[in-house]
Amino acid sequence: MADYENFVQALLPRLLRYATMLTGEREQAADLVQDVLVKVYRRWSRISGTDHPDRYVVRMITNGYLSWRHSRSARLVVVGEVPDGVGPGDFASDHALREDMWQRLARLPRRQRAVVVLRYYEQLPDAEIADLLGCAQATVRAHAHKALSTLRNGLATEQLARAKES
Amino acid sequence: MDIEKLIEETFTAHEHDVPDEATVLAAARRRIHRRRLALSRPLAVAAGVAVVALAAAAVVTVARTGSTPDEAAPADKAQTAAPKTAPKPAVASLPMPFSLGWLPPGRVEYVVHRVNVGATSDAPDARPVYGGDYMITVTANGQVLGVNVQQMRTMPVDEAMFKSGPGRPVTINGRHGVESVHSDGPGGYELYLADPSGGSMYVNVDAQHDSTAPTQKLIDYGHRIAAHIRVPGDTTVTPVFGLRDLPGGQRICAFDVERGTTGFWVGTCTVMPPVVVHTGAPELPGAQPGRPVLGHATRHLDENGFRTLLVLGAVKGEPVAIAGRVPLNQLYAVADRLVLPH
Repeated sequence: MADYENFVQALLPRLLRYATMLTGEREQAADLVQDVLVKVYRRWSRISGTDHPDRYVVRMITNGYLSWRHSRSARLVVVGEVPDGVGPGDFASDHALREDMWQRLARLPRRQRAVVVLRYYEQLPDAEIADLLGCAQATVRAHAHKALSTLRNGLATEQLARAKES
Repeated sequence: MDIEKLIEETFTAHEHDVPDEATVLAAARRRIHRRRLALSRPLAVAAGVAVVALAAAAVVTVARTGSTPDEAAPADKAQTAAPKTAPKPAVASLPMPFSLGWLPPGRVEYVVHRVNVGATSDAPDARPVYGGDYMITVTANGQVLGVNVQQMRTMPVDEAMFKSGPGRPVTINGRHGVESVHSDGPGGYELYLADPSGGSMYVNVDAQHDSTAPTQKLIDYGHRIAAHIRVPGDTTVTPVFGLRDLPGGQRICAFDVERGTTGFWVGTCTVMPPVVVHTGAPELPGAQPGRPVLGHATRHLDENGFRTLLVLGAVKGEPVAIAGRVPLNQLYAVADRLVLPH
């Protein structure tokens, strides 16, 4: 199983980053990746024979996030309410702006968040996102559109203007 | 900068939250290498998970004799007795190694029926072990509970590990075990109850999706589920396709029946099964056409000795894949024994 070890060690940093962006929480990301690594081990002969084992495992992470076992933890990520409206003075720094966005991302439905992470963090084209999620590209675009609308909602014009200037 | 740029920067700014690689890898290794492989708590993550209920008509011979507690309990107790002359044998049901005698009230959906197979990487010749595994959702009053019950045949309770931290002793029906102390966190309630095989039975009850459940209810449900587990039980599950009369002493060693998908691990069951047969296979660019199987066209591909044979349109228009590091004719020999739905 040396090839398993090599494969995992090479891919692990990406998996952890990806899982963190999906779950929004360090412990849940670790838990998700750990579960997938065990599962990959058990299915290694099958996975290693695929054309793109890395893509297969990323799909496992994605499905793990979307599936029931981690859904409760995903719910637990957001414990506080994001303000409905944000005044200009609330953002003293870019850091605050990003933290507000982080909270907004955490409130997204999981599939929308997955699309956002895959598009804006993993920088994948919609075709690959559709393949990963097992849906049509139009569905990906719809999820992205809804997500962006939600994320914009409540962001004061001043903040967006400020963001655009930075 | 627009909102899309802000999103990108937000993600990048949180890369410091990424868990430590070594810690995660070490934790995964511990779970993999517990003595032999501890049969792990799997996710219901395979592409498309759920149960399919096709009518099963073939006679199932449950051959439980010859299996000692420390040995494998191969899933191929489903030896079809359908006569060879039958032009269209039915897909045979598969027996689960144990049954669940009680579940929380509500609408029950069996998400996964599975017999796991495990072996150790440091002793690859060791006899593999097999264990049953159920993943279930129970919906009541708009709240969804996830239930996972799994045999951990190589993990004694004193080696149990919890996602939420150290466990505490518990006794259920006179059997000792350990349960999670913090069942209100991620992972919900977890329990490892001593099993006569020397291993343990794992029970996990967790609130799903946006559901909530009082912690004490999770605990009570977990206790009651554990108290009513019946070994060997009488539960069977019907896969979306089957196998029959496998050649060369091969048997179905393990299986995975989920929503609309089925997988079999085939071999002698005395070593790790070398052949996997499953639905839900991706396309194989570069695959070569082969001889027809049961009236279906085939494609095959050799990737450095790992061969995959696709029987096209075999189940609901989707292919069945037979794969392993074995000669192509061995894959065809298995393919010829497919039992496809009518």
